[in-house]
Amino acid sequence: MSPARWGLAVPGIAAVCLASGCQEGRQVGWDQPPPGTAEVQVDSATAARNATLEPGVLTTVQTLPVVRWKGPGGRPFEVGRRSAAPEAGYTRLFGTITLPIALRSRAASLNQYPCTSCHQGQKIVMENKRIGDAHQNIKPVHPDQTGAICSTCHSPDDVEVLTLKSGEHARLDESYRLCAQCHFSQADAWAGGAHGKRLDGWEGRRVVMACADCHDPHKPAVPTLIPFRAPQLERTRGHAP
Amino acid sequence: MSADPAPGLPPGADDGTLLQKPVDRREALGLLLAGVAAGAAAAGACTPLTAATPDERELKLLEWEEFTQKHYRRMTEEERAETVARLERLAKLRYNEDATIATTDAQPGVLFGYAFNISKCKGYRRCVEACINENNLDRHQDTQYIRIFEMENGVVNLEEADATYQHEVPMEGHFYLGAQCFQCANPPCVPVCPVGATWQEPDGIVVIDYNWCVGCRACMAACPYWARRFNWSAPEVPPEEVNPNQHYLGNRHRKKGCVEKCTFCIHRTRQGRLPACAEACPTGARVFGNLLDPDSEIRWVLANKTVFRLKEELATEPRFWYFAD
Repeated sequence: MSPARWGLAVPGIAAVCLASGCQEGRQVGWDQPPPGTAEVQVDSATAARNATLEPGVLTTVQTLPVVRWKGPGGRPFEVGRRSAAPEAGYTRLFGTITLPIALRSRAASLNQYPCTSCHQGQKIVMENKRIGDAHQNIKPVHPDQTGAICSTCHSPDDVEVLTLKSGEHARLDESYRLCAQCHFSQADAWAGGAHGKRLDGWEGRRVVMACADCHDPHKPAVPTLIPFRAPQLERTRGHAP
Repeated sequence: MSADPAPGLPPGADDGTLLQKPVDRREALGLLLAGVAAGAAAAGACTPLTAATPDERELKLLEWEEFTQKHYRRMTEEERAETVARLERLAKLRYNEDATIATTDAQPGVLFGYAFNISKCKGYRRCVEACINENNLDRHQDTQYIRIFEMENGVVNLEEADATYQHEVPMEGHFYLGAQCFQCANPPCVPVCPVGATWQEPDGIVVIDYNWCVGCRACMAACPYWARRFNWSAPEVPPEEVNPNQHYLGNRHRKKGCVEKCTFCIHRTRQGRLPACAEACPTGARVFGNLLDPDSEIRWVLANKTVFRLKEELATEPRFWYFAD
């Protein structure tokens, strides 16, 4: 959605809220750190060396313990929290240069987050079609291919919660619980370490990215990009590779 | 002279082939050159050429000392500290940079291994970019440790692979395979070195003492993977882009005429961090870990995926495996 549209939509929704008398009725603050959240220094050596790093460059990332899946050897592991500090953990300092590592721009993908910025606590009734202008930025490639609708994954009762086939709810940070319902072999590889991206070092605690940190859930294929420049082999090559 | 290791060796220091040389020629040469230097200094003091600043005189002296320093594996702890302090001072004098050069040893019980997912790599070359920045690679010569090969689906054919593609990736019907130094368990580059300037560390990393390398490039000819790079000129890195977090055996300043290679980012991995390429990879195609830890990700990949290595028939035993989903 363009900013201009936002300008129109937000006062409109606010007006509806005021008219219907809806209030701050949310029971759970989904943007608050839940129990079990830990902050881990994922790049401590860099952070220590660059104590005066500009804000926004990685220092810490909040994590959530992974439920149901265990890492290699039955070890527990953690996922980085998606809804906390949109860019935290997703840029890295190499030498003196900061590079992003994400395939998706999290800030852009979270431009309507938290949902309460529009949905002020009222229950959302999701229908089997998309209504209005609110989520035109979403291209539902994956739902369209699988015949899914919004409420297949998003809980109709609470927009900031995912709903699982078992009837349980999962946080937006816990996309792996939702995706693994169909993509179980990928989830096993993810828990083992062959799929997905590890955020901290190779030893100690294991913090990984969750499914939706790389894959847009509505359009999961990774994008095409222009690669970093090619080597100038004619000047450096010693003999045939 | 006896074949016993020289006295004063640090615990765990190498007592291999290098130490069997009956005469320490470097030391003899050092004494000789120190005499020449003293003579030259005396001569210099008598001439009207007094334009040299104290910094320039210090630089000359340190350069003599650098030229006559010992092999890294023969240094005692004190000598290592002296050498590193000298190199840091030289970096300040030569390039005006405040580098920190570590000499961190291998952790006991650690053997590094790498796995590369050829179905996840999309050819973005973000690893190459991070490697250049992290390892202070020569921008003039455009040195790159990592090559990403683009190949048509169906067969691994490196002869017809394209390592210099420059178009939007991933390309339909193609896959990508990255190659760098594989830190072979049986490295053919090590025994060919005539001066013992390259060796394998206990954690499996094959390293080079850049000050001991004579630039004969025999190791480059011996490597079947073209993993080593030669400095035809003094490496050029813009001062503001120099990574000050360095290791003696890793990304410190190289000189003209020495060989360098990927060290699995020795300055990072010996601190428990991931190599820069693994950390920069946006698709998670790179798995790095300790082969001696049965609960590591790398061991999970080796146990649960079908893996292969390049040119297995050469028995170089690379510690770098490829797998697909």
